[in-house]
Amino acid sequence: MQRIIDFVVKNKEYIGLTALVIISFSIISIGNVNKIGGFRTVVVGSIGWFQELFTWIPNPGALRNENRALRELNLQLSSDVSKMRHSLIENKKLRDLLAFKDKTPNKLITADVVGNSNIEMRNYITIDKGSAEGISQGMCVRTDAGLVGTIVSVSNDFSLVEIILNRMTKISSKLERNRVNGVVSWDGGEYLVMKNIPESFDIQVGDVLLTSEYVNRYPKDIPIGKIEEVVRDRSSLFMKIRIKPFVDFSSLEQVFVIVELPDPERIKIIQDMEMKLQARKK
Amino acid sequence: MKLIFENRRAQNIKLRMVNYAIAALLISLAHVMLIDFISIGNITPDLLLILVVWISLREGQFIGIFAGFIIGFLFDLLSYDALFGTNSLAKTVAAFIAGYFFIQGKSEQLLASVKFVWVTFIAAVVHNLIYFFFYLKFSEISFAGFFFRYGIAMSIYTTVFATVVMLVKSTRRNL
Repeated sequence: MQRIIDFVVKNKEYIGLTALVIISFSIISIGNVNKIGGFRTVVVGSIGWFQELFTWIPNPGALRNENRALRELNLQLSSDVSKMRHSLIENKKLRDLLAFKDKTPNKLITADVVGNSNIEMRNYITIDKGSAEGISQGMCVRTDAGLVGTIVSVSNDFSLVEIILNRMTKISSKLERNRVNGVVSWDGGEYLVMKNIPESFDIQVGDVLLTSEYVNRYPKDIPIGKIEEVVRDRSSLFMKIRIKPFVDFSSLEQVFVIVELPDPERIKIIQDMEMKLQARKK
Repeated sequence: MKLIFENRRAQNIKLRMVNYAIAALLISLAHVMLIDFISIGNITPDLLLILVVWISLREGQFIGIFAGFIIGFLFDLLSYDALFGTNSLAKTVAAFIAGYFFIQGKSEQLLASVKFVWVTFIAAVVHNLIYFFFYLKFSEISFAGFFFRYGIAMSIYTTVFATVVMLVKSTRRNL
């Protein structure tokens, strides 16, 4: 017995360590701290009360972290706001397009603008619908706001649209208010022009221009733009009119293709006449 | 005469135990409440471990391991995010390691020397090895990477505080 006591006394550190390690492992094996939940609730409550006493002390580290987190949150929120604003604008545009589509008598194909290009003062846009959707060369393209241009080339899934801001543009047009006729063209820049209008014609700033019955490439009565400026030249009897197109080509995203081709008989007779005139000139 | 001396010695030990208990309680509360003020990027010192090492070097290995267990248990109760029992185990083993450096009759000298700082560092490394082993047991985090990143850094930070304690002790001893 004495030998056992001597052994225990001699190795008390190791025996103590072993015992405490076993107890610690037993506690760890409980695993779920909910078993001491009641006591812990009291401890947490007490610590919370003490911690509250020290909340007045500023903590630079915590403030720095909070600032960083707030800055990141601010960045994320401003990005979200920007996205929401964009969605709102897009939503309004789409609603306008939808409303227009419902009320127009023509059959329309909705298309998204997927690209634009400029070749020798001729502006084009590419849309994501082609012959597979029933689109063919010569069809007119517009938005709810007004005239965009004409389809000049078609593939299976895409079409190329020559927009009216084009050096080849010549559109027979009329004023909505008094039906005065003229030819609209483009000489560069963001405006269309109407030249050689006699000074005696009643033309005012703000008048709306539509495609006329004489035009053979587009259906009649499609809005083109609004008169922005009337330039009167004292040395001449004619006026020059600057027209702002209704369509904002810089932010064009969706368009409608009017599924209607110009009358081929009418086109043919005009082409024949032009050929005869050219032959006579020669 | 011998009896009086024995009684006084026993009273001194009891008083010291009470002092240790009060110190442990106060350090635990300070640790839980004020840790945010002394933490550097998630790295925090283990102030209770310094106390455990102190007790082991002053009272010996046997008392040290019990002190380590009780203090670890106390901290397990107070730190509600830890796996219960890991602090008891880690601090018991750390106290056992620190107790190896105990020299009868030279404890005061030891606590005021650089040796105290080294012993604290070794004990902290062993403590963190055990603690992080359990801490990461059920996670996908690599033990070695986490230990070298946080365990060693925490050991060094704890050692910095131990250096302050050693300097205070050394200054008081010289007065």
